[in-house]
Amino acid sequence: MDLRLTETQEMFKKVAADFVRAEVPAHLMTQWYRTKETFRPEVYRKAASLGWLGMLLPEEYGGAETSFTDCATVFEELGRGPVPGPFFAAGVLAAQIVFAGGSDEQKKSLLPAICKGGSIPIPAITDKAAGWGAEAVETSLTRSGSGFILDGSKRFVFDAEAATGFIVAARTEIGEIALVLVDRASAGLSIKPLVGFTVSAAEVTFEKVRLSGSSVITASSGWQVLSAALEKSLPILCAYQVGACQEIFDFTAEYTRTRVVFGQPIGRFQRVQDHCVDLSVHLDAARYATYEALWRLDSGLPAAAAVHEAKAIASEGYYQACNYAHMVFAGPGTDYGHPLMAHSVLAHTLYQYLGTPWHHKRSMMDLLYPISWIPLAGCLALSL
Amino acid sequence: MDFNMQADTPETSAFRKEVRQWLQENMRGSEKLRWSASWSTRENEEEYRFRRNLAGKLGKKGWLFPMFPVEYGGAGLTIHHQTVLETELAEYGLSLNHVFYTIARIVAPVILKWGTEEQKREFLPPMVRGEISVWQVLTEPQGGSDVANCQTRAIRDGDRYVVSGQKVMVGHHKPPDFLWTLVCTDPSRPRHENLGWLHIPANLPGITIQPMYMMMGLKNTVFFDGVRVPAKYLVGDENNGWRVANTHLELEHGGEGRVGADPLVERVVEYCQKTKIAGMPLMEDDQVRDTIADMMIDLNTLRRFNQRNYWHRHTRNPHPYGGAQQRYFQRVMRLRNGERLQRIMGCDALVQDLSVHEVVDFEYAVRTGPGQLHGGGTLDTDRLVFARRVGLGRPTKEKAPETI
Repeated sequence: MDLRLTETQEMFKKVAADFVRAEVPAHLMTQWYRTKETFRPEVYRKAASLGWLGMLLPEEYGGAETSFTDCATVFEELGRGPVPGPFFAAGVLAAQIVFAGGSDEQKKSLLPAICKGGSIPIPAITDKAAGWGAEAVETSLTRSGSGFILDGSKRFVFDAEAATGFIVAARTEIGEIALVLVDRASAGLSIKPLVGFTVSAAEVTFEKVRLSGSSVITASSGWQVLSAALEKSLPILCAYQVGACQEIFDFTAEYTRTRVVFGQPIGRFQRVQDHCVDLSVHLDAARYATYEALWRLDSGLPAAAAVHEAKAIASEGYYQACNYAHMVFAGPGTDYGHPLMAHSVLAHTLYQYLGTPWHHKRSMMDLLYPISWIPLAGCLALSL
Repeated sequence: MDFNMQADTPETSAFRKEVRQWLQENMRGSEKLRWSASWSTRENEEEYRFRRNLAGKLGKKGWLFPMFPVEYGGAGLTIHHQTVLETELAEYGLSLNHVFYTIARIVAPVILKWGTEEQKREFLPPMVRGEISVWQVLTEPQGGSDVANCQTRAIRDGDRYVVSGQKVMVGHHKPPDFLWTLVCTDPSRPRHENLGWLHIPANLPGITIQPMYMMMGLKNTVFFDGVRVPAKYLVGDENNGWRVANTHLELEHGGEGRVGADPLVERVVEYCQKTKIAGMPLMEDDQVRDTIADMMIDLNTLRRFNQRNYWHRHTRNPHPYGGAQQRYFQRVMRLRNGERLQRIMGCDALVQDLSVHEVVDFEYAVRTGPGQLHGGGTLDTDRLVFARRVGLGRPTKEKAPETI
């Protein structure tokens, strides 16, 4: 047992913390979130030059081949920003999908470009707003001559704005799930930003988009490839959420020292203290669930259930951390000029992104305690 | 980052083998015993005897306090050896704490930190070897969580302290050998500067113990009526008791940490697989599964908090607020789990009748919710300590006391 970060990880953490302070100062960050201009190409390019895109990939593909925990220490600091941009969507998840399911050719052409920041493929997985399982993949892929036609609409695509292309999950004519690469400039592709209490998300529609045969990553095992990539990626997203929770905890604790009402700092009021205690529970629950999942991945132990658990706890934790901070900050915390506001809108978005806590809890249970006997089967037999 | 408690260095791997074999021999006869929780009214003589006996045997080898110096009865080993012992005992459903549930687990480290050399040599070995039972005797009828408001007087008279007062809700149903007690050594001095700690032999004249029947089991009232305690039993200096208290309280209030997990979820799952309604096992009901998932996540979170605190404590780097956070979380979690158990199991969650279900202790888990909201200070004192450690509303942060 050893619950410390290694020296390398401490170093990663420091470099990333300095980066966030220099490149994403609060007065700019809050403005980006308010105007929904969250993709900052200059920030993304600088991060690429520091080697933070595709960190997990082998060196031959332009990655740094770091451990999962190493990579997570960087993302934890990015989360403190919260630094917006497709660092995770392209630099981690898309990279893992291509690495897990792509042909040699696709890996060689795509992965180094992802690492350099030139190529930004964004995963577009489920069609409906409220479903993150395989059953929610409806967009169709039909054969047409030597290529395919892609038709359908993805309601919630995080970081779509930044995309140079998409990795789309689609249903084939025999009902299997394929993953295909789609260029952003394709005819029939449209991106409609979602307006509301969410950020960096858009609906992406593919209206009879023509694809060549070489754009297929996998024609039939899309869900398996996706699951494998998610298992390795989600804990990095969790680390980002943990960093965000830590930032919220720190600035909330500081506020209790400096904000004076009724003649004393508000942190003297026990009800205010209670909010901070609850906030810390969510922060540390997320932190250690995330670390444990990362450790399982780094040690080659079975990790799938722990990853679902971590995503459930981290998404719930980020969301609740914001809520408790809102109780402490009251009015000023709802001003778009305040960092809490950026966190709050992002926390709601990430609560949905790649599955709500409820979805991941159910996935965790299904892995640990599979249902052997399906009651529905019996009913069907009777009605026939 | 390494959460593994079973990964061994060559040194601990040999130790694990030794411990495993030793336990195989010394746990013989325990197969049919059903461990009950500490202070439970359902404890039976046979299992208590077994655990006390086992504590004595572990103590002889220094394994009850493996990290304690050899000269005081410990084994002078490392955190890794201690973790081996904890994880191997966990295979039998026990932990070092549970084998030897007298409060010596907390008292001995406090004496190691604050005792004089003479006191350590006299008081520690019997405790560390598991030969004696010590009760923690802190709570007073009017004080409650306000421990520093201590009314039990210990007035110096020559080479003795004359102790008078009353402590409540302490101990359990097995008689103590020593009473580890906070007393007021000088009522004229200001709060926090007027206290002392006495390690009082329980057989001195003037001590009366009366049982109290309480939600979690049997506790006691202890009356001190002019008890003459030799001055050598004062640990830490006269009027220095509050600093000693801080070490003690940090350990009691979650800072101790723990390795090992509560098997509650496995037991619930087993129950839900066996129990069917209209032919369908409860385990296949979506609402039951959702409830179990929430329970599991809470228990896993608690396990990780415990492991974090264990690591911080034994690497001598106390976590600033980890103790208070763990205890607060544990308490609200138990309340939630009590409600969840009732939702899943109906009245089986309230009944001790083993013939209804063979899985023991659901009722205990439900009762622990309201029953353990206060032990060692209320839920609210946990949050108060947290606020001071984080420095909420304050320019400075109170440091976590160093524990051993």
